[in-house]
This record gives sequence, structure tokens and C-alpha cells, in this order.
Amino acid sequence: MAQPFLKKDDDHDDEVDYSPFLGIEKGAVLQEARVFNDPQLDPRRCSQVITKLLYLLNQGETFTKVEATEVFFAVTKLFQSRDLGLRRMVYVIIKELSPSADEVIIVTSSLMKDMTSKTDMYRANAIRVLCQITDGTLLTQIERYLKQAIVDKNPVVASAALVSGIHLLQTNPEIVKRWSNEVQEAVQSRAALVQFHALALLHQIRQNDRLAVNKLVSSLTRGSVRSPLAQCLLIRYTSQVTRESASNTQTGDRPFYDFLEGCLRHKAEMVIFEAARAITELNGVTSRELTPAITVLQLFLSSTKPVLRFAAVRTLNKVAMTHPIAVTNCNIDMESLISDQNRSIATLAITTLLKTGNESSVDRLMKQITTFMSDIADEFKIVVIEAIRSLCLKFPLKHRSLMNFLSNILREEGGFEYKKAIVDSIVILIRDIPEAKESGLLHLCEFIEDCEFTYLSTQILHFLGIEGPKTSDPSKYIRYIYNRVHLENATVRAGAVSTLAKFGAMVDSLKPRIFVLLRRCLFDTDDEVRDRATLYLKTLGADGAVEDMKEFLFGSLDIPLVNLERSLKNYEPSEESFDINSVPKEVKIQPLAEKKAPGKKPTGLGGPPPAPPSTIDAYEKLLSSIPEFANFGKLFKSSAPVELTEAETEYAVNVVKHIFDGHVVFQYNCTNTIPEQLLENVTVIVDASEAEEFAEVASKPLRSLPYDSPGQTFVAFEKPEGVPAVGKFSNMLRFIVKEVDPSTGEAEDDGVEDEYQLEELEVVAADYMLKVGVSNFRNAWESMGPDCERVDEYDLGPRENLAEAVNAVINLLGMQPCEGTEVVPSNSRSHTCLLSGVYIGNVKVLVRLQFGIDGPKDVAMKLAVRSEDEAVSDAIHEIVASG
Amino acid sequence: MLLAILISNFAGNILLERFNGVPSEERLHWRTFLVKLGADNLKGARNEELFVSSQKSVYIVYTVLGGVCIYIIGKDEYDELALTEVMFVITSSIKDACGKSPSERLFLDKYGKICLCLDEIVWKGILENTEKDRIKRLIGLKPPNPTEI
Repeated sequence: MAQPFLKKDDDHDDEVDYSPFLGIEKGAVLQEARVFNDPQLDPRRCSQVITKLLYLLNQGETFTKVEATEVFFAVTKLFQSRDLGLRRMVYVIIKELSPSADEVIIVTSSLMKDMTSKTDMYRANAIRVLCQITDGTLLTQIERYLKQAIVDKNPVVASAALVSGIHLLQTNPEIVKRWSNEVQEAVQSRAALVQFHALALLHQIRQNDRLAVNKLVSSLTRGSVRSPLAQCLLIRYTSQVTRESASNTQTGDRPFYDFLEGCLRHKAEMVIFEAARAITELNGVTSRELTPAITVLQLFLSSTKPVLRFAAVRTLNKVAMTHPIAVTNCNIDMESLISDQNRSIATLAITTLLKTGNESSVDRLMKQITTFMSDIADEFKIVVIEAIRSLCLKFPLKHRSLMNFLSNILREEGGFEYKKAIVDSIVILIRDIPEAKESGLLHLCEFIEDCEFTYLSTQILHFLGIEGPKTSDPSKYIRYIYNRVHLENATVRAGAVSTLAKFGAMVDSLKPRIFVLLRRCLFDTDDEVRDRATLYLKTLGADGAVEDMKEFLFGSLDIPLVNLERSLKNYEPSEESFDINSVPKEVKIQPLAEKKAPGKKPTGLGGPPPAPPSTIDAYEKLLSSIPEFANFGKLFKSSAPVELTEAETEYAVNVVKHIFDGHVVFQYNCTNTIPEQLLENVTVIVDASEAEEFAEVASKPLRSLPYDSPGQTFVAFEKPEGVPAVGKFSNMLRFIVKEVDPSTGEAEDDGVEDEYQLEELEVVAADYMLKVGVSNFRNAWESMGPDCERVDEYDLGPRENLAEAVNAVINLLGMQPCEGTEVVPSNSRSHTCLLSGVYIGNVKVLVRLQFGIDGPKDVAMKLAVRSEDEAVSDAIHEIVASG
Repeated sequence: MLLAILISNFAGNILLERFNGVPSEERLHWRTFLVKLGADNLKGARNEELFVSSQKSVYIVYTVLGGVCIYIIGKDEYDELALTEVMFVITSSIKDACGKSPSERLFLDKYGKICLCLDEIVWKGILENTEKDRIKRLIGLKPPNPTEI
């Protein structure tokens, strides 16, 4: 009878709104932790203190090394207590404290004792804690116990050992790989979770052995897997095996498809979904194969569980990119999801519908989206905007309604990213759909009348300056632009002045009026605005060549801004003025192919990648510091490192090709991966008999190459000046090897001369091409003019698909793809790719490639080249003809 | 990999968090992101109603349990459905530890026990136990019932 009253009291307590940790303070808790040292331990009190420590750690509180170590030492005393609850807490706090404490090794003996204890639960927990604090040496000592634990009859112990194995594989792979047999046995365990953990570990152990994974999958797909989680893993591994073996099958029967299809009838939703997704992701999946998977996903669309609806619509969204017709059957279910409470689901449904819908359904969809847009967050809106942009490019005839939609939402409230997505979409539509140009420009003009984002205003003004003068009535934009000069901040005003100048330069009839407006800007309060106005008045008013003026106003800055910024920062004011031609033009900075630092794995959370090191500068500095190469002149290009050895060989060597006008320098980056060896006097003997135009002129050996400390050796060749000579070079690494005593690290005095064969290396035409992009290809193409244009057609023969052909030509020429044209939509029958670059001798080159593919997959290509020198245009054709 | 488990109160204060394989400089971003996600969507949500979202290549499943909000982030094999499984284990274990869906106060009262539960459920980003009854025994260092195996 007392129970209800007690419960009521509990409830009453709950309502008191204070935290048991109210006013908790690290110093005080550390003081309290002294109870761990009491001769008579109070388990309850100790547990409370540990809870407080856990709370502090979970609140992001950090302990100094000294504090953590002190607590850690005190905690080890608690192993004396026989209280089970306290012991469990001790295991947790040791794991939490170990990363920040020194001397964690002091708990080893206590843990080793627990690990061999008769109490199963001590064993399981001790294994987990030991694995957290272990190093290679300790691991070798406890390996025997861990192997026994993997096949322990108690599933908790087995799971603890297996999960430890998964973690230890990252740090001590060679030890964990020795447990294969035990793990294999655990895969057959009757305990579902043991099977799940064992399968995950076994796959990780064998992941680089394709045959072994194939065997594993074959045997398990025939047997029974107990846990749905393990079954999901199996489906993933099966799907991986299928993907890798698909290219080997000639018969058309896909291995393991029946297994995947069978999983669609599994009782666990998780397994059904995994199988459906695996089927949709099969390479070249056919409609027949897709149908059963789409059917189950369609059923999930109307599930009461939001997670299932989300999973299904997310997968269908992906399928819609490659097989829109297969997803059309789900359109009705998907339309009902537009009103789903979960906005992620609604957004995915909308974007899928936009991909699968036909031209006639566009208007209806847009109506639904209009109501939907008002109650979703900006991040979802951006996804929708991007889908609408693709839809408009797919159905250009619908540009009016889609453009109206974009302009309407542009007027509504929204953050910068959202507005930017809309503006970007309008700009792309204007560029790609000529009929949409005038209305699009007007929408943009209206937007800048009330735009709170300086960046967007200036971008639009810049765009107006390029596109506005080419319209039928350029004068109608002037009012919007000139309004900016009155109403906006200095940055926008300066942008508006530049735009006005562009109108003046392009439209003669407007020139006098533009002059009047520009003159008014001479009285602006901001010096940048005044300077620009003065400059443009002078440029436009000068009698010089019109072409020069247009080049000045419209010409793209053909050097990357980041390079310009760096050069300007390095420039020291002196008599000699800054030379813009000294700025390097290479767009992509190739990172040095150094050995990756161990333990630095990508986090997978999409965090920003670290900025690439400025290797071009580094190369230039390095080469100019070597006297033999100092007189080679300016470095034109450095290639990406080319591997000359297989992965995981004794010596890892890659080469960087440095191209000068009359020379080529090979920089061999060498790494010695054998701890017991020291290499000295390392050189590369290059045989250039298949590179007739090259003559070796210098070689710089590497004096010493200790273990795991990369070094470089160089070989330089002379070649005819300015000529894109090509050739093949075979390489032999020659060195003196000395034995090293691993305990002392000292090398023996005497060494033996040895050689090591490296892969061949080629200097190809692409090495003479710099990847330099242009911001607007059409403008660049038109301004280059047809004088040095060379056009020809080529038959590229049978290819797997268009994308492969496009990639092959891009790689052959080594040029920079522009405006994302290197991406070929799947199943395309034709494609245009735009490339830009600078050829040796600093000659700008633009290339327009038009591809077409016919039934038997024969690819034909039309190549149009424009450059500043017809000999270069011819050279590009020669490269393609001989490639 | 289970990248994070985060439990907060309705005001967005973090009560408990466990990150795995997430660099410390990215954690603040995730805390802010999750708390905002909860503020936008969990208002008026039913107890234990599941919410799901994805951000780049990771999945997020979150819910309300009594007076606390629980968020789980996973990637690769821990997709939205696997996370649902994890969420189910977490919510049922917390209810078990607290005797009911906890208020914030009750959650903090049972903080130590809940930490132990989470330690049994997820270890360094890998799901280890999925049965609440087994977890209940394990946190008391009692072996699982043979029938549960």
C-alpha cells in the first residue's frame, strides 16, 4: 500500500526545478575525490563522486594532466572494493579519464587480474578498458586472453573482445589479423550480437582480400544470419562484392541478386530497406531488377513511421537521378508527402517529384510548392531551388512560370544563402535559356532595388554589365544601376560605376548619357568610387582602340585571385613596380604525395578539408636553391606526383615532373619503409632511349635516406626550347644499403650497393599545358575570335559511355574544364565540354568538345580549338590525333 | 560509426554527450546544430515520437523523452534505420533506469546509472548491446540471463 504514496512523493520531487548538480564546481569535486583514498571505502559515496566527475566531463569540463592523473591514481584504489556497482563505475571513469591522464599503465595489473577473473562480467569490462589504454607491447601480452575471449561462451565477453578487436585493428592491425580463426568461429555463434560484431571484424580484417570477402559473403548468404543488424552488414558486403564483380560477368546474371531480392521479404524492416537500397545502387541496374525494390520502397512511403518514410523517399530521390521513369509509379504517394510534418521528408518528396515529373505536371507542382515554401527552413528551400533550376533546364519552355516563381520567392524574407541560391539559379537560366534573359535581368534589377546583401548586389551589377548591353533595349537597366550610386554603400556604388562603364563601352548610343552619370560619380564621398569613375571616364573618352578598352573592361583576370593575393603580399615596395605577369597561373595546387601521418583520418563529418599547401611556391623555392637548376629560367609547371612503386613496397618512390622552357627536371620523392635499413647515396638511373629529344644534363643524388623520413633526388634533362617534346623514361633506383640495429638505431659502417627497379615514367603533351580556368567561357571564346580557330572531327571508337570518353580527352589535353561541363549526365547521347588552359610559351588556349555516341557505343567527337597562336591550335589537334 | 549521442533539456542545455571520432573543434558546431534542430522541430512533439534528418553524409535521429531531448548521429552502416534501433535501446534503458519517462530532474538524479547504460549500449562508436533487460543486468555486473542469448 505504501508504494503509491512513495511514487507520489517521487513525482512531487520531480517538479522541484533544481538540479542535483546545481552549483557543481570542479575544484570541489576534485577535493571530494579524496574519499577514494579512505582506508574504509564508502561505495555509495564513491559512486556519487564518480557520477559528479562524469557529469563534469560530459559538460565539456577539462581536467589538466595533473588533475586527471591524480584522480586516476585515486580511482585505482577503488579496485580494493568488492562492491559491484562501484566496480562498474570504476571501469567507466577509467575509460573517460584515460585520454587525459598520464601513467594510465598503473591500472594494468588490476585490469589483468580482472581479465583472468572467474567473474565473466569483470572479464568483459576489463577487456574493454584494457583495449582503451593498451599499446602494442601490452597487447602482445594479453593477446592470448583476447583470443580466448572471442570464443568465450558468455556472449558479453565475446562481444567485448570482438568490439575491442574492431578498435584495435586501427592501431595494431598485424596483431588483430592473427585472430582470424577465432573471429571466423564467432561468426557462427548462436548469439545474435556476437555474430554481428564478429562479421564486422572479420570483414575489416579481410577487406583488402577480395577473394576472401567473396568467400565470406558466399558462405553467409547460404547460411542463416540471426541478427537483423548482421544481416544488414551482410547485404552491404554482398552489394560491394556484386559491384566489384559486375564487370567480370559476361552472362548477364548478376551474382547474389537472388539473395538481395530474398531479403526484401525479411521480417525486419531494417533488412528490407537495406536490400532495397542495395538493389537500387547496383551498377547498371535494369528496370526488371529495380521493380521489386521500388515496390517495397513505395510501401514504406505510406508507413506510419517517419524514419521509414524518410529512408524510402531518400532512396527514391537518388534513384530518380538515374532512373526517373522507375520512380514515376510512386508519384502519387510522394505527392501526399509534400504535407508531411517532417520537413526533411517533404523536401525530399518535392525534389524527387521535380526530377520525375513531366512537362505537363510542372505548373501543378509549382502551385503545391508555393504553399510549401513558406513553412520550411532556408536549408530546405535551397534544395528545392536547386531542383527547380534543374527542372527549368530540362523543360526550357516552362521558363516563364519557373522564372516567375523564382522572382516571387526572391521578394520574400530569407537569409543570404537562400537568396544567393535563387540569384545563382536566375543567372544560370539567363545564360542557358536565351528567351529567359530579358525577364530574368529585370527580376534581378528589381531585387537590387531592395537588396540587403552587398555581395549579391555587386554580383548582379557585374552580371548586368555583361548581359545588359546585349539586350534589345539596354537603356531600361540604367535607371536601376544608377539608383545604386545614390542609395547604397561604397562597395555597391563602386560596382555600379563599373557596370555603367560597361554599358558605355558596348552601346554607343548610350555613351554620352553614361558620361554624364559617371561625371556625377566624381563627387562621391568614397575614393574607390571616385577613382573608378575617373578611370572609366578616361578609358571611355580615350581615342585608343575599342578592342583594348573592351579587353580592359570585360577581359577576365586570367590569374587565380589566391595566387595574385599571395604575390601581392610577397611584393616589397621598391623601385621596381609589381609585375602581374610574375604571378603563377596554375589553378590547382598539387599537394605533395607525402606519407600520410598515421592516425589522421578524415572525420567524415564533412568538416572543411585543410587548405592545400602552396606547393608551387615550395617547388620553385626548392629548385632555385639547387645550383645545377638555377639557370633553367622560370618554372612553367609541376605535375602531380606519379607513383613509381606499388603501395606497401620496401621503398616508396613517386616523381614530380617540373617543366621549364628548355629543360625538364624529375624530382623523385623517396621513402624508405624498412626500419632496419639506412640508404645512402640514393640516385635514379634514367634510361631515356625512348625519349630521343631529351638529353640528361644533371643529377643530384640524395646523401642519406633513413627509415620513414622522405627525401628527394633529382635528374634534369635538356630538351629543345619551347617544344612540347614527349617520351618514355625507364628508372632504376640505385643506392648503398646499410643495416641498422633497431635497438640503438645506429647503422653499420659498411654497406652494399643495390638497385631497385621502378615503374616507367612518361612525359606527355598534357605536361605542357597549365590548367587555367576562365570565369565566362562564352565571353572568352568570343573575344579570342576565329582567326586561329582549328576545327576537326575524330572517331574515338567504342567506349563504355560518354563520360569515359570525355574524361579521356580531358586527361589527354590536361586542360581545365569550365562551367562544370566535365560532368556528363548519365544516359546522355551527346555532350559539350568546354576546356581552357595555357600552353607552353604562355599561349592561351580554349577548346570546345562536342561528343556524340551511337547505338554500338561508338563515340565521335568534334574538336574546335581557339588560341592566340595557330601553331598551338594545330598542336592541340596533333595531341588528340596521336592520343 | 555512431558519431554522437547527445541529451539536452528543452532549453538546449547539454546534459550528457558522447562523441566518437568527431574532432573537438567540430563538436561545438554539432551541439549548436542539434539544439537548433530540436528547437525547430521538437516543440509539441509526442513523447518518443521519432524525428529524422540528414546532413551531408550523416544521419540524425532525435526524439523527446519526458523532459529531455535525445539526438543520435550516425554514418555509414549506422543509417536512419540502424539509428532508430539505437534510439529504441537508449530510450527504453533510460526509462528502465528512471522507472518512467524522466523529467530533467529525474534524469539528473539517475545520471550515473544512465551513463552506465550508455556505456553498455555504445562503445567508441559501435553498438554493443540492444536488449534493455540485458543492459540492466550488465550495469550491475550481473551476467545476462541464458534465455536472452
